[in-house]
Amino acid sequence: MLAYTIRRVLLIIPLLLAVATLTFFLMHSVKGGPFDSDRPLSAATTQRLNERYGLDGSLIDQYRLYITNLAQFDLGISFSNDRPVRDIIAEHFPISAQLGFCTFAFAVVFGLTLGTIAAFNQNGIGDYVGVFFATVGAALPSFILAPLLVITFVLRFHWFDIIGWELGNYHKMVLPIVALGLLPMSFIARITRASMLDVLRQDYVRTARAKGLRERTVVMRHAAKNAMIPVLTVLGPILAGLITGSFIIERAFVIPGLGQEFVRSVLIRDYGVIMGLTLFYAMVIAMMNVIVDLLYAVADPRIRY
Amino acid sequence: MAANTSIAQPFDFAAEQIHTKQRGLWAQAWQRLRRNRLAFAAAILLTVITVVAVLGNTTDFVQRHDPKEQNYTDAHGQDNIDREPSGTNWLGTDGLGRDMWARTLQGTLFSLKIGFGAETVVVAIGISLGMLAAFGGKVTDNIVTWVTDFGYAFPDLLMIILFRQVIFGRDWPIIGTGDPQIPGVPSVLIATILAISFVSWVTICRLVRGQMLSIKESDYVLAARAIGASPWRVVRSHMLPNTLSTVIVAITFGIPTRIFAEASLAFIGLGVPPPSASLGSLISDGYAHLQSNNLLVIWPAIMVASLMLCFTFLGDGLRDALDPRTKR
Repeated sequence: MLAYTIRRVLLIIPLLLAVATLTFFLMHSVKGGPFDSDRPLSAATTQRLNERYGLDGSLIDQYRLYITNLAQFDLGISFSNDRPVRDIIAEHFPISAQLGFCTFAFAVVFGLTLGTIAAFNQNGIGDYVGVFFATVGAALPSFILAPLLVITFVLRFHWFDIIGWELGNYHKMVLPIVALGLLPMSFIARITRASMLDVLRQDYVRTARAKGLRERTVVMRHAAKNAMIPVLTVLGPILAGLITGSFIIERAFVIPGLGQEFVRSVLIRDYGVIMGLTLFYAMVIAMMNVIVDLLYAVADPRIRY
Repeated sequence: MAANTSIAQPFDFAAEQIHTKQRGLWAQAWQRLRRNRLAFAAAILLTVITVVAVLGNTTDFVQRHDPKEQNYTDAHGQDNIDREPSGTNWLGTDGLGRDMWARTLQGTLFSLKIGFGAETVVVAIGISLGMLAAFGGKVTDNIVTWVTDFGYAFPDLLMIILFRQVIFGRDWPIIGTGDPQIPGVPSVLIATILAISFVSWVTICRLVRGQMLSIKESDYVLAARAIGASPWRVVRSHMLPNTLSTVIVAITFGIPTRIFAEASLAFIGLGVPPPSASLGSLISDGYAHLQSNNLLVIWPAIMVASLMLCFTFLGDGLRDALDPRTKR
């Protein structure tokens, strides 16, 4: 298990190298850049800007410089306001991480609950309510959900705030979390329902009931643990979805997170920040996937690494 | 001696042939789909939306205003900005006096073009690479599998944004602003379609590879090979048709995913530049004017939600219908 963990963590390095190479050459194949404006700059200015940001020299030289910097944990520098990408991440990532973590908790808790309720009331009212929510959640993307929630709960009922993010202030937290989390929640609910239905038909659940255990013990100790395993497999894609979802939600609710920063850098073609943040996202996702895989082994004793 | 009239006649097997209608896979699937009311209703609604969106941009009867036309005052000299729905403007007007019905139809058509166009590219790449992985050597398979695993774990939208930067940042022959262009197809549309297809093929590639690998080991492929069918014939007439149902279901779920991707891009400000509009850019525009006129968001939002729901129901229905094991 330890050897496996170390191997998986070490395997992230070539992956990140591949991402860095890909984004480097993608971004350097683009004509134009952050220094383009309506009025053309003088040749001397362009020359100095290129020197300043390491954009002179051949493509191979630039690539070598970029990789060398990366090896020293230097993610590059913004071409538009000179800030190191590391500082940008340090300032904006905590906000995105809070949003992501709260949304993740929301999706998992409500998804599991809805799915379990639906499974225990198969073809009953609870099932239909659960399936209804799951279907609606899947059909309403966050960029539709956000305006609809704002129209209903901010403009009509004045319950919540429309902009910003503040941990602990539910006026600012509820709407972004719901708008971002409904899709993964419905996803988790669907899978939980299916796997719970499967588990409840197993012999060991019948045995547990037959030996007279309370229903709660049967569900919590015998059924729920096994029903969780398929849910774990989709956590990886869900985490990736939260990152791209944050691009949309942070823009909709004007939250100064990393997603906003990424979109801004794309809009003004700040390639330094684009490359740095892409690499950072790749690293976050790779580490999350390793954690999910390890959790998988913890939850399912049949899996040995 | 009276002739025995009841001489046993030879049994006429030909007359006893049981006349049951032979129904093929597709006929059976069609019947199962028709019995699924939700899926069938979704299919009808989708057809109606598509037909109206296509007609809207060609006939005045369906769409009485030009989506780009700005009327600050109506025929009676009244203010025509942010109007409620009325007889002349069925869904009201926006802040520039443009007809929302016409704008929504224009956006719907654009989004449908993106959906179908991108899905075509996705299927073409996905099937080719999936088959390459299944039939190529070990090395090819490993490379394709590695790339698909990577693309699967990486957020789609992030990759789409990066690739979009590359495509939009340069004049390409054919697709870009340079010459020659494909006549009648705007370069924005092609560029967006290519950007979306860039990474989305991995799902279908995985599906096709997995199906091909399992079918390759099946008895009927062995039988076909044993009677001397050429490899190409085995693939074309035995293996491809058996992956078809999986691919059809994947396409039905794929189209709304592409529409969703484009709309997400448009919402964060990376969509098609005006005057062209997609459902996503309409929602994005409307979101900025939420407090003055929330109808601007509601119409395109209803349209996106109906498209998503219809494709989901149709996909679920098709999956049940195309699976020969569901007998009913």
